[in-house]
Amino acid sequence: MAIRYISPAAVRLRGVSRAFDLVPAMSRVDLEVDAGEVVLIRGPNGAGKSTLLRIVATALSPTAGTGQVLGFDLLSQREEIRRRTELVSHRTRLYEDLTALENLRFAATIHGADPCRAGAALERMGLARVSRETVRGFSQGMRQRLALARAVLRGPELLLLDEPYAGLDPEARELVDDLVTAARSEGRTVLLVTHGGARPGLATRSVLMRGGRLHALAPGEPALAVPG
Amino acid sequence: MTFLRQALAVASKDLRIELRGRHAAAVVLPFACTQLVAFGLSLGPGRTLLEATAPALLWLAVLFSAVLAFRGTYEAEGEDGALEGLLLAPVDRAAVFAGKAAAVAAQLLALEVVVVLLTAVLFGVSSAGSPLELAAALALGTVGLAAVGSLFGVLTEAARAREAVFPLLVLPVTIPVLVAGVRATALVQAGHPADAASWLGLLLVFDVVFLSAGALLFGQLLED
Repeated sequence: MAIRYISPAAVRLRGVSRAFDLVPAMSRVDLEVDAGEVVLIRGPNGAGKSTLLRIVATALSPTAGTGQVLGFDLLSQREEIRRRTELVSHRTRLYEDLTALENLRFAATIHGADPCRAGAALERMGLARVSRETVRGFSQGMRQRLALARAVLRGPELLLLDEPYAGLDPEARELVDDLVTAARSEGRTVLLVTHGGARPGLATRSVLMRGGRLHALAPGEPALAVPG
Repeated sequence: MTFLRQALAVASKDLRIELRGRHAAAVVLPFACTQLVAFGLSLGPGRTLLEATAPALLWLAVLFSAVLAFRGTYEAEGEDGALEGLLLAPVDRAAVFAGKAAAVAAQLLALEVVVVLLTAVLFGVSSAGSPLELAAALALGTVGLAAVGSLFGVLTEAARAREAVFPLLVLPVTIPVLVAGVRATALVQAGHPADAASWLGLLLVFDVVFLSAGALLFGQLLED
């Protein structure tokens, strides 16, 4: 049985830094996100937003600092974090020569989710009619929808969305917003990274990232006003 | 049970991708056939020389083709960050390794059927008297090659010059498979299959070592 810290914070980072080939991408970031919050992380390209999300997802290790995600230690309890977290990014992590349905069923199997829910997840993301087509023929928008369907399938405690609107048509953008709204109403936590904006009222809080540093750290601290 | 289900999911995923992408059929198999024909032409028409070198040529064709097959299995993982999907899944790393090794072993075994037949036709050799011993050598060699390929495949996936680094790592490590496979095949071909037991034993030890190493190290190599 893994030790889980009792904490209201879904994400708690302290002095987390990350460098690539000695070039810093993120410097001494402190972040605290309460469970059930939807936090919009905004900032220009190269600000370190994706790096931050990938560290929280445990896809990357920090070069310095400590943290907890969902009450589990960022460095020593990665498996527990991965069980409860889903990262959706521009790298969709799909297999080109598998169909949409096969991709979801495989994801369900390795994540310990129910593969029978794959059809419903595809239906929800508007991909039911192409469920038996290979991903190779999909547009970027369809791939992004399929990656989001994987998140729907798993129903993670913490949803990490890295530029989820990229390449999506207005209808699909609505689906992303609906997904975030549903997650929020179910008490799940969402970190939403975008260099643009999001629908007014979608996020409970907005923070700014620039030059590898985060501004507006504490819950409720309005460094950037959330529109609406 | 979970281990088996996860390993089967990874293996069937890799085989399905291979069947659709036809990397082995379109690239690896023609490469193996071309090698055998080139070896035969370079050695000339002397029947005795061809028969004597046939075991070595067979295993060299298998080894070089295997290197190509290994890269094929990891290409799909690198296409859109899929390998990161395996990293972020709370899946038993040993099951992923076992699944990938099983899938590539199945591909190699299918390839070897063609390579053995072609070797018999081109070089006029036959192991009809001891097919079990030859099959055992090929099966044991295949398991070892698949284990090495699956282990080093993930190691080199992050390398910028992975196409060059991969064979540089794999070929030296698999020399024991090459030597033991060639010697066992030569003894079978010469009509002394019982003498091949020690070489088959070496192949078995190699398999155990690299399957164990893969099961233990694959997860660490997958992490950044």
